[in-house]
Amino acid sequence: MFLYNLRIALLSLRRNSVLSSVIVGGIALGIAVATLFSTMRHVLAKDPLPGQSRALHYVRVDSWDPLKPYPGDDPTRPPTQITYQDMVSLMRSDIPARQSGMFKANLYVFPDPKIGRPTKQLTRLCFADFFPMFQVPFRYGGPWDRKADAGPEPVVVLSEELNDTAFGGVNSVGRTLRIEDRDFKVVGVLDRWRPPVKFYDVTQFAAQAPEAMYLPFNFLRPMRVQSVGNRDGWKSAPAPGLEGLLASESCWIQMWVELPTREKVEAYRSFVDAYVIEQKKTGRFPRPLNNRVTPMMAWLKEQKVVPNEINALTVVSLLFLAVCSLNLMGLLLGKFLARAPEIGVRRALGARRRDVFVQHVVECEVVGVIGGALGILLSLAGLAWMNSWVKTLLTRDDFFQLDLTMAVFAIFLSLLAGLVAGLYPAWRVCRVPPAVHLKLQ
Amino acid sequence: MSTPAAAPALEFGPILRAMKRNKVRFGLIVVEIALTLAIVANCVSMILDARREMARRSGFDDANLLSVRSTPFDPAFREDGYLDNSLRQDLEALRSVPGVRAATNTFFLPWQGGGSSTELRAAGTRGEWLRTQIYAVDEHGFDALGVPITAGRNFTAEDVETSAALFRELRRGPRPRGPDGLPARKVTQDVVITEAYGRLAFGGNGPFVGRMLEDNDGDFYRIIGTIDAFYNFYGWPIHEYAVFYASRSRSYESGAAFLVRVEPGQGEAAAKAVEQKLLAVNGGRDLRIRTITEIKGQFFGRKRLVASMMSGLVVLLVFVTSLGIVGLTSFSVAERTRQIGTRRALGARRIDILRHFLLENWMVTSLGLVMGVLLAYGLNVGLVSTVAGARMGWPLIAGGVTLLWLAGLAATFVPALRAARISPAVATRNV
Repeated sequence: MFLYNLRIALLSLRRNSVLSSVIVGGIALGIAVATLFSTMRHVLAKDPLPGQSRALHYVRVDSWDPLKPYPGDDPTRPPTQITYQDMVSLMRSDIPARQSGMFKANLYVFPDPKIGRPTKQLTRLCFADFFPMFQVPFRYGGPWDRKADAGPEPVVVLSEELNDTAFGGVNSVGRTLRIEDRDFKVVGVLDRWRPPVKFYDVTQFAAQAPEAMYLPFNFLRPMRVQSVGNRDGWKSAPAPGLEGLLASESCWIQMWVELPTREKVEAYRSFVDAYVIEQKKTGRFPRPLNNRVTPMMAWLKEQKVVPNEINALTVVSLLFLAVCSLNLMGLLLGKFLARAPEIGVRRALGARRRDVFVQHVVECEVVGVIGGALGILLSLAGLAWMNSWVKTLLTRDDFFQLDLTMAVFAIFLSLLAGLVAGLYPAWRVCRVPPAVHLKLQ
Repeated sequence: MSTPAAAPALEFGPILRAMKRNKVRFGLIVVEIALTLAIVANCVSMILDARREMARRSGFDDANLLSVRSTPFDPAFREDGYLDNSLRQDLEALRSVPGVRAATNTFFLPWQGGGSSTELRAAGTRGEWLRTQIYAVDEHGFDALGVPITAGRNFTAEDVETSAALFRELRRGPRPRGPDGLPARKVTQDVVITEAYGRLAFGGNGPFVGRMLEDNDGDFYRIIGTIDAFYNFYGWPIHEYAVFYASRSRSYESGAAFLVRVEPGQGEAAAKAVEQKLLAVNGGRDLRIRTITEIKGQFFGRKRLVASMMSGLVVLLVFVTSLGIVGLTSFSVAERTRQIGTRRALGARRIDILRHFLLENWMVTSLGLVMGVLLAYGLNVGLVSTVAGARMGWPLIAGGVTLLWLAGLAATFVPALRAARISPAVATRNV
């Protein structure tokens, strides 16, 4: 019966090819637009570390100016980063399963002179826990150990790209790379790692690619590394230079902790509060107690990783699909009712209302499926075009990808659009009284 | 039906009654048009918003500015004396490039979406601390930006020299603090400020030259000049506030940065020559040369993309809706072929049939537009509170209404003409 209905539907579509292409084209357009923009939003909004992200928390403490809150839209928010001295103190806690303070810098790499001139490379200074915490994939070797953090031992983890340019892409674990004024031993090379959102640091442009290399945090002092991230201050440093910065109230370090259970989260929150209350005795932290230990997804949302414009576009594109669906409903209604005499004959010959109804719903779903398939193809073309545009800004061309979730979503949307548009016309047409139309024949 | 002018008015009744018998079909069109108007008006509002922002003028000669960033790896640059020497040579080299009008040593970079900031207030008051952008420039800074001094004077080469010497001294070690915890010896720097910041700090329209600002270390900033044209987007709402002080901006770690203003159209050629000349001074460094146009393009990249995608959506939407109207009117015509034939046989002219369909569609469209105006404002309130954007004004709605009226009429015209061509003979024929 289903196959029979399917054949009828295809026949009916073929009968008036202009009308059919308008109907299918309209729904394809709606699905394409809705899929394209929902996918763009989904790429930015989806959980980058399913399973793990719930345990990861971003730490902030309000060490800002007593006279006014940290600037921004929301005056109740503490600074987005923390000071060096607070990071050092907070890292002493043994509550988190893993933890890392971090910042990014721009350091010179001196490859073999035969290969090329020295180049500046974006570098992340972090602790050993960074890699397992954020499930960073390795191709060769692995992260350094906690012992190397303390040294600090001169070890470095390279991205796939930097390993390609500096070592020709071979397994370079154990080889030496000169960075600024000293030699580092390569302990690990990352596999291709291109999360669309740089979820571990969204204090600046969130769509930036990950850094080219990773060094133990404690090289900050011996190498006098300068951060190239944001640095917010409200009070002048007690001394000039790096030592002054490290002792100052300047906020420039991102701090993450892994707290696998609810009890650990509570314990860690109390620990941070207790630390700040203790510090208040020395005259620091003049503002009311306002510390945040924020789960990763909430933090990404707070930092507006999905730009407002993209949200607006998504809403508009779904409304666009709604208009296409309404349009389809009108066209199908006209098309089905024009067929009323034919239905009259079928009904007179014994077809039940239900048969007529099902037959027309199947026809609508055929339209939805064909339109949806075309629409998904169109949205893939749209995404490819978007990626070529993103490439001009970010030097990466794999930003927007249609993943399984979104493909399923698109199929669901097209079935839904077909159903929404088809239910009423099918119901209307199955209630056609046979006698009236038979008389007219 | 004595006068032709009265005829359309009399047709309202039958059309309305006909529509009542086809509630769903006409209702669909009404809802579709309402949704279309709501979406179109809100999209256009967001597009205009983005365009307004992109049209913001910085006040600088953006089109003819180059940013040059030099980051050294040659250890020679670690020495202070060498740094100063090479900075002087770099500036001479830059100015010797044909087509270069001015070159300055500063880390200020327009349209990068941020910069550096501090908090100051009018000296001697207990007023609120007022955040402002703050940058070091040399005596050629405003010349290179293409910004005129509106009052007072620019920095001189001696100002830059004295100020650089002062900073060198301050960098040597911690400043001795008094009993209040603030540095015991206060410093006074000469600054040039934007008039917008002057108005914020002192109230009124000036003159601001000769007045003093202070920071929370108790150090003073003497205003020697003002500029008016200044807009540099910052993460905090201080886009128009800026304070400039005289100094040299260079170190081994951060390198040195320059802004170079060229003759119109000379950007490309000058950029190449600049690279060669600077590498000839010292090749032990990395150079990054970009036009401000390029930096501004990147800054607005996302906004421009979203605006063009919204424009595309608006066009598609109006097209789809018009298609829907064409479809429904066609069915409506096909269904009423016999009635139209009868009317024609009873003496209705072609123009009467055409008018009937146009009027019918106009009534449906208008009903949709009335609902659409309400929906548009509703959606706008929703978007403004949850997403972004500005409240939309009535001219925009009026524009959208006109557009859709025209689109509706145009879409009805073809099927309505077909209806008008139906021959009266159809009525007498049995199907």
